[in-house]
Amino acid sequence: MPANNEFDVIIIGGGITGAGTARDCAMRGLKVLLVERRDIATGASGRNHGLLHSGARYAVKDSESAEECIKENKILRRIAAHCVEDTGGLFITLPEDADSGYGFDYQAKFLEACNNAGIEARAISPREAIQMEPSVNPRLIGAVVVPDGSVDPFRLTCANVTDAVLHGAKVLLYTEFVDFIKEADTIVGVKLLDTRTGQTSEYRAPVTVNAAGIWGHGIAAKAGVQVGMYPAKGALLVFGHRVNNVVINRCRKSADGDILVPGDSVTIIGTTSTKVPFEECDNMEVTPDEVRLLLREGCALCPALAHTRILRAYAGVRPLVASDDDPTGRSISRGIVCLDHETRDGVKGFVTITGGKLMTYRLMAEQATDLVCRKLGVNKACSTAQTPLPGSMDGRIENVSKCFEGKPSAGQKGAAGRQGDLVTRIRFDSDADRQLVCECENVTLAEIKYAVRELGVSNLEDLRRRTRVGMGTCQGTLCIRKAAKALAEALGKPELAEKLAADYLNERWKGMRAVGWGDTLREMEFMQRVYKFEKPYSYDEV
Amino acid sequence: MKFDVLIIGGGLAGMTAATKLQSEGLRCAVVAEGLSLHNVSRREFCAAGGTLLAGDKVVSGRFSGDRLISVRTEKLGDVDLEADNYILATGKYFSGGLAADMDRLYEPLFGLDVEYDEDRSKWFDASFSAPQKFLEFGVKVQDGRALKDGVQIVNLYPAGEILAGISSAQGDARESVINSAIEAAAAIGRK
Repeated sequence: MPANNEFDVIIIGGGITGAGTARDCAMRGLKVLLVERRDIATGASGRNHGLLHSGARYAVKDSESAEECIKENKILRRIAAHCVEDTGGLFITLPEDADSGYGFDYQAKFLEACNNAGIEARAISPREAIQMEPSVNPRLIGAVVVPDGSVDPFRLTCANVTDAVLHGAKVLLYTEFVDFIKEADTIVGVKLLDTRTGQTSEYRAPVTVNAAGIWGHGIAAKAGVQVGMYPAKGALLVFGHRVNNVVINRCRKSADGDILVPGDSVTIIGTTSTKVPFEECDNMEVTPDEVRLLLREGCALCPALAHTRILRAYAGVRPLVASDDDPTGRSISRGIVCLDHETRDGVKGFVTITGGKLMTYRLMAEQATDLVCRKLGVNKACSTAQTPLPGSMDGRIENVSKCFEGKPSAGQKGAAGRQGDLVTRIRFDSDADRQLVCECENVTLAEIKYAVRELGVSNLEDLRRRTRVGMGTCQGTLCIRKAAKALAEALGKPELAEKLAADYLNERWKGMRAVGWGDTLREMEFMQRVYKFEKPYSYDEV
Repeated sequence: MKFDVLIIGGGLAGMTAATKLQSEGLRCAVVAEGLSLHNVSRREFCAAGGTLLAGDKVVSGRFSGDRLISVRTEKLGDVDLEADNYILATGKYFSGGLAADMDRLYEPLFGLDVEYDEDRSKWFDASFSAPQKFLEFGVKVQDGRALKDGVQIVNLYPAGEILAGISSAQGDARESVINSAIEAAAAIGRK
């Protein structure tokens, strides 16, 4: 076994939890290997609202989660400023809520619970609410302002991975966990499969962390331990532009489709909650019933949604975990679950970190890393709450823009917003580099080259997660051939361009099929017309 | 205002039919939204004395029994445009000839009968590059004429991509579009 295959800790899962844990472990001086079977943030981490919860949503029912949220909310605003947008949030009460027992009494209870949890919440009049957010349902009878925001989960995951690497971690993307290497009752390493080359390899570490979200269920099983997980599908819809500038929530008991979040150039409504079989987790389709429900509830928050083009639909799976002391699995915990399988199951060298939510990833990582450090006998305190992520070092975007000579272009501003202070690493040298590739999101050729050079991109989906290329209103219809060519050339494989574009279009198509009516259907015909007039993307011909 | 033929839509189908009919001596009018106007045939049509209502849009029609009596446009307000025959060449989805909501596919201008699969899961193929069924849908026709609530409208002839089976998004459909327009014009010419 060569020494370069030996680590202090192996982390399975390149979602936000795994990325955060890798960063924390690396910052505490551990030699870290992070393994992800696809790309970063391809599971639930990249398939949610992108809501920077204030915690208000949990205040009434689960004060512990609410307190965690507001604490992490404040931390993320500081350490991940370039991933966060301070939109503010509203919790609105509609006349029908009063009829179903969620009127002013509930609002009063809600306000009290928020303030008890340390969430600054204040009631405003319907008139003030409409002034603050003109798209809000004008029928509202009450509103509460809370410190919600939006967070770009791709950017956040990427920044954590980047920082882990800066602290010496090794990251293997498109590398699948195959099995554990066991010695007696101890996990001493993992067998991995490089999905691009088909090669298998072995890596060893005294501790392995299972941070694979819902897929962690199967990974735990390979270690011979049971973690009672339940896949809960959540469907969301993306609208064609930024309808609202303030997060709009419904002030009632949490239900389906009651959060509307503005993020970059779009608005997202979600979510539903349906238990699904494990087999479905890898390929989820949004059903017509889910779309109907989301639209109905979305229009109650913001009536303009009824005639706004839907860009696409998507769904993620929450890794819900049943409490250990409940064999029926009915008592589901939404909190953080950090399991030491040595004390719990007698399997040494193995830790599972799951449950929780995007908002509390840092805290989850801290708990998992504390446990790893205890196992390794390392005594070093967590500093992730104080240390800004790469991209947020200089704090605000306005300062970042000052690094450009003269007035920054749209592409430079876009890049600064996405990459934060790392924008200084993007080389806007030539006119060609400064040209926009994706005009919806203002992505330049220079930024694409940077992503390939430094952010581990191998296809257009990876590139989208790091630069938002093709995520805007045209969904890649007008730019994806350009982007594919630019990416293929930056990868040094120009012959890949057609295949890259075809794969990307199939993925966008999937999200559009679920909402194929109205203006979306028009867009779909347009997209077919643009790409199929001479049928350049038939696989048979490529 | 009264015409022999009123053509709704100034794309390839509408202008092909209009130019042919006008040059055969019929008094034609074309109502066309600017974007879709087919420029070459527009000059030919106007030179032959045709009436072009460019940048306007038909918004409603008055039917009586099995005939379309008159239409109104966005810009002309309550002026009834009458014609003996009508050609409907408003295209498919992008140009608004056909539309869909969550529950059904429909022809939004006159509410004509449409031919489509009610099972929405069949509309789209998972592969973007595969043939897509939704591009095959169109208005129902009988002897080249449109149907409304099962009744054949004897003076309303759909042409071009609004017809089932014709779509330029599935490949080059210019020949089928032109042929359908010539057929509609020929049927009117024979009357």
